[in-house]
Amino acid sequence: MEMNVVVAGEAGQGAFSVELELTEILSRLNYHFFATKRYMSRVRGGHNTHMIRIADHAVHALRGGKWDMVVALDAETERLHRPNLREGGVYLTREMTKEIGAAAKEAFGNIAASNSILVGVVLAVIGVSPENVAGAAEPAKEEYLKKGFEFAARWKLPGALPVSPKAGEHRKFDGNQALALGAILGGCQFMAGYPMTPATSILNYFSEAASGLPIHFEQAEDEIAAINMVLGASYAGVRSMAATSGGGFALMQEAVSLAGMTETPVVIAVSQRPGPATGLPTRTEQADLNFVLHAGHGEFPRTIFAPGSIGETIALTRKSFELADRYQIPVFILSDQYFADSVQIHEEDIPLDVDSREYREFDRTYKRYQLSGDGVSPLTFPGLSEALVKADSDEHDEEGKITEDRSLRIRMADKRRKKIALLRKAAVLPTFYGDRKAASFILCWGSTKHIVKEAAERLSSEGIPAGVLHFGQVYPLTPEMVAPYHLEEKRLVGVENNAGGQFARLVKGELGFAVDHSVLKYDGDCFTVEELYQALKGVLS
Amino acid sequence: METKVDTAWCPGCGNFAIRDVLETAIHELSVPANRVVLTSGIGQAAKMPHYLDVNYFNGLHGRSLPLAVGIKLARPDLTVIAYSGDGCMYGEGGNHFIHTIRRRLDLTILVSDNRVYALTKGQSSPTTDPDVINPLSPEGSRSIPLNPLALAITLGAPFVARGFAGEKEHLKVLIKQAILFPGTALVDILQPCVSFNKINTYQWYKERVFRLEKPLTDRYEALKTAELWGEKIPIGVIYQNESAECRRVKEIFRKQATREDIECQVDMKCVMMR
Repeated sequence: MEMNVVVAGEAGQGAFSVELELTEILSRLNYHFFATKRYMSRVRGGHNTHMIRIADHAVHALRGGKWDMVVALDAETERLHRPNLREGGVYLTREMTKEIGAAAKEAFGNIAASNSILVGVVLAVIGVSPENVAGAAEPAKEEYLKKGFEFAARWKLPGALPVSPKAGEHRKFDGNQALALGAILGGCQFMAGYPMTPATSILNYFSEAASGLPIHFEQAEDEIAAINMVLGASYAGVRSMAATSGGGFALMQEAVSLAGMTETPVVIAVSQRPGPATGLPTRTEQADLNFVLHAGHGEFPRTIFAPGSIGETIALTRKSFELADRYQIPVFILSDQYFADSVQIHEEDIPLDVDSREYREFDRTYKRYQLSGDGVSPLTFPGLSEALVKADSDEHDEEGKITEDRSLRIRMADKRRKKIALLRKAAVLPTFYGDRKAASFILCWGSTKHIVKEAAERLSSEGIPAGVLHFGQVYPLTPEMVAPYHLEEKRLVGVENNAGGQFARLVKGELGFAVDHSVLKYDGDCFTVEELYQALKGVLS
Repeated sequence: METKVDTAWCPGCGNFAIRDVLETAIHELSVPANRVVLTSGIGQAAKMPHYLDVNYFNGLHGRSLPLAVGIKLARPDLTVIAYSGDGCMYGEGGNHFIHTIRRRLDLTILVSDNRVYALTKGQSSPTTDPDVINPLSPEGSRSIPLNPLALAITLGAPFVARGFAGEKEHLKVLIKQAILFPGTALVDILQPCVSFNKINTYQWYKERVFRLEKPLTDRYEALKTAELWGEKIPIGVIYQNESAECRRVKEIFRKQATREDIECQVDMKCVMMR
């Protein structure tokens, strides 16, 4: 059983507050749920949509199709979402939500209480009893929720669309929280940033966590300053990261190249939104893969992760710091607005130990760019020992002094290139779901993971078997990563939230496998399971 | 100074004098070389760290300051000096100059100010005088020159000084004061460029510079003094504010968050679990 509800209205009307409070209580009551939002780039007005899927089984994507319940905070909801209400579904009209607003003012003298009252109504609809909700709610809001149950009773809604709480022990995250936690677990102690949707909440979570811990967050004057501060802190011996979106990352590019040349470890999270330029500032897309792949002038090695679940985000972000340190390279984490703003529960255990690093000491003969067999020079930090640490953006000698010696240039370029082989060996394998014998495989990366997985499961249950290969690491891609799957024998379908099929092209270029069909979406929204299922059905059957 | 490195500066360049002064100043302050970090950007002056025996991060054009900020925030225990030319500090890095001063960190900013782009061979810099003719301004520079001292004072910098590469002892004292000053200290250094600035020569400066007897402590008087240019050019500490508060920086180096810290973050629902 599941109940899919949409709460929609103007920015500032409270739909976001409803989502926040509802998901918090659902989590405390051990419900499985997945919540995401589509919002406009404005503080007030417009039309924002908050979608919450509540289920008696694990859910990590939007179902799509008809709504089971629609809550209208504005007239636009009537036009946009009412036609998608299923027969027998619950509709809270604008008049009903207005009545709730009036009651909030009358009973509590507080219009904001109407958000909690609405939460109470939704909880009543899925069959939560007032007694149960009492323990899960913030004490100050219990009265409001009770009022919600009264409204529900009056409108004969309690238990109208029942869902049982079946989740086990879990933690609730949105994508950016998971990313920030992964960074802290990876030993990250420094972040500098400039706010930009949809990366801003990474900065928020990190700076809030930093206040009580040996961690520093600095708001920079621009993204160029941010990434240079991050590189400065990393050079000084502190694991550091930057987080931004495409436009901000465009400003950071010169310093990505600087990290490559100076071999300064750095982790950069790029939370994608649709471009070009300002594009759709608050919407989602997976169109910056090529950008991140090629960011920075000159040639230098890099690794790019694109996690598709909460657990994978925490694990790969944590791993990024180890990788950046070990190989002294930039490591990227590609996320997007959809994943950043989606709230879900994570039931698996999260190891909470914080990674530590080595602090090596050397004498005065230390050479920052010592030529070595595998291209990785010993790394240390200023003031730690007698060693002087000399980092240079120019081509340099082993010590770090500027040079234009051609043979040295070749040796230094080769030294940097040698690390590519190490990164390829360290590549994180893709995740496979479904039937390995299926004739068709769906290739995906990043945030589409669970949407594709669920759509493929539906297809399989209808006799259209399809395997799903999800890449949490999108670069480098190596033959070993796909060797077990015999892609040469499969019909390949690429699913991407962009217009150009960027990952499919990368797979073709790096691995030689051409995708036979592409299912692409680039209207600023994520796929829903229903939508993708229909599209894949058309392709596969 | 003894060095095997072939310096990239022209014979007679003001940077040689500044290098010697900086080396002596650091030596006389008895800061161990391994605790001093120089950051620099791009340009002839930005090559300075290569000719000194200290830690350095020679970064990108205009970015010496955010590098220095990152280093200082991560390692308040280090002596951090950002060194670059006028083009790097005031042009390409102009935004960083403004906001680095606002951060109130214990940093030293040294600028070789030769009033010209030398490495790219003679174009206008932010401090180039009006009507100066050069390759990209064949009819003469049309912009108002930036006054770094007045700008820094206006932004609230607590230590603002001007030195002259032709007065090495005086410059040394200024640099030592700047490094020892607990806050953001700027020393703009008049640096003759023998190749591309035929106006502001050693001789030109020698005829004009005069030493301030003591640091000015009144901000408006300092601003007036910072405006002096032409017949009389003041050198010395133009403005010093002893009561300005330097920002305290949390010690984070080699101090790790523990599992217990994280459990608090996650399980207490205080931050991560909102």
